[in-house]
Amino acid sequence: MTAAGWCVLLFDSVSQVLLAEKVLKQAALGHKVIPVPRQISSDCGVCIRFDPAERDRVVEALAGKVEVREICFV
Amino acid sequence: MKTEIDARGKACPEPVILAKKALETHDVVVITVSDEAAMQNVRRLAEGLGCSVTVERRGAEATLSISRQAGAGRGAVECCTGELKPSGPMVVVVASDVMGRGDDELGRVLMRSFLHTLTEASEKPDVIIFFNTGVRLAVNGSDVLADLAALSGAGTKILVCGTCLGFFELKDQLGAGVISNMYDISEAMFGAGKLVQV
Repeated sequence: MTAAGWCVLLFDSVSQVLLAEKVLKQAALGHKVIPVPRQISSDCGVCIRFDPAERDRVVEALAGKVEVREICFV
Repeated sequence: MKTEIDARGKACPEPVILAKKALETHDVVVITVSDEAAMQNVRRLAEGLGCSVTVERRGAEATLSISRQAGAGRGAVECCTGELKPSGPMVVVVASDVMGRGDDELGRVLMRSFLHTLTEASEKPDVIIFFNTGVRLAVNGSDVLADLAALSGAGTKILVCGTCLGFFELKDQLGAGVISNMYDISEAMFGAGKLVQV
């Protein structure tokens, strides 16, 4: 948990969320699958929340493996 | 009047039934059970009836001395929380580890997503009941244990079907909530002001 809020990864499909989750689990990076926050719209409906402090590591872990549509601060 | 019951080796919910019947006609009931789930279920029944309970353990066995207190009801068990809101408690029933029918992988994501929203809801459920494959959500290794812990910390009572845990051989893996029986579960459902089945 962080007082500074959270980052969320948005994807184009649920399949990509699941794939990204596998990658993050393997990389032992803390995350949580949550519904896409109301203030953001996404076709997919679920997204992955993580600690902004981990942003670089998360982006690096997913690079070349899963296509991320957007990373937002919430 | 006092009575003693030997309920050792009897499977749930039989010890609960025996204790409940005995309490209808006796003021003091001493019942011996041989496993933890039976002890907890009998104790919850007695406390739900407003009785005082003392537990004496000897290894896996436990003897519960249940005393009916003046003014306590005789018979009908109070709804599981005992503190009904004017509209009745909100009860969420999780009958499966997936949300909806169709694709299970999708269903698991939806269920996690749903339980996350409960932690953020302004009106949190008073009771969440897990049964059938739903119990898998409340055991060690589940992705939603942190959510269940947060809900529990906010006052939500989490009942996990003991029969189901036994069926899936997960009884020693409980990671959230309390092992419950069909009496507690059905009473919570019948006593609900609002019942939501996922």
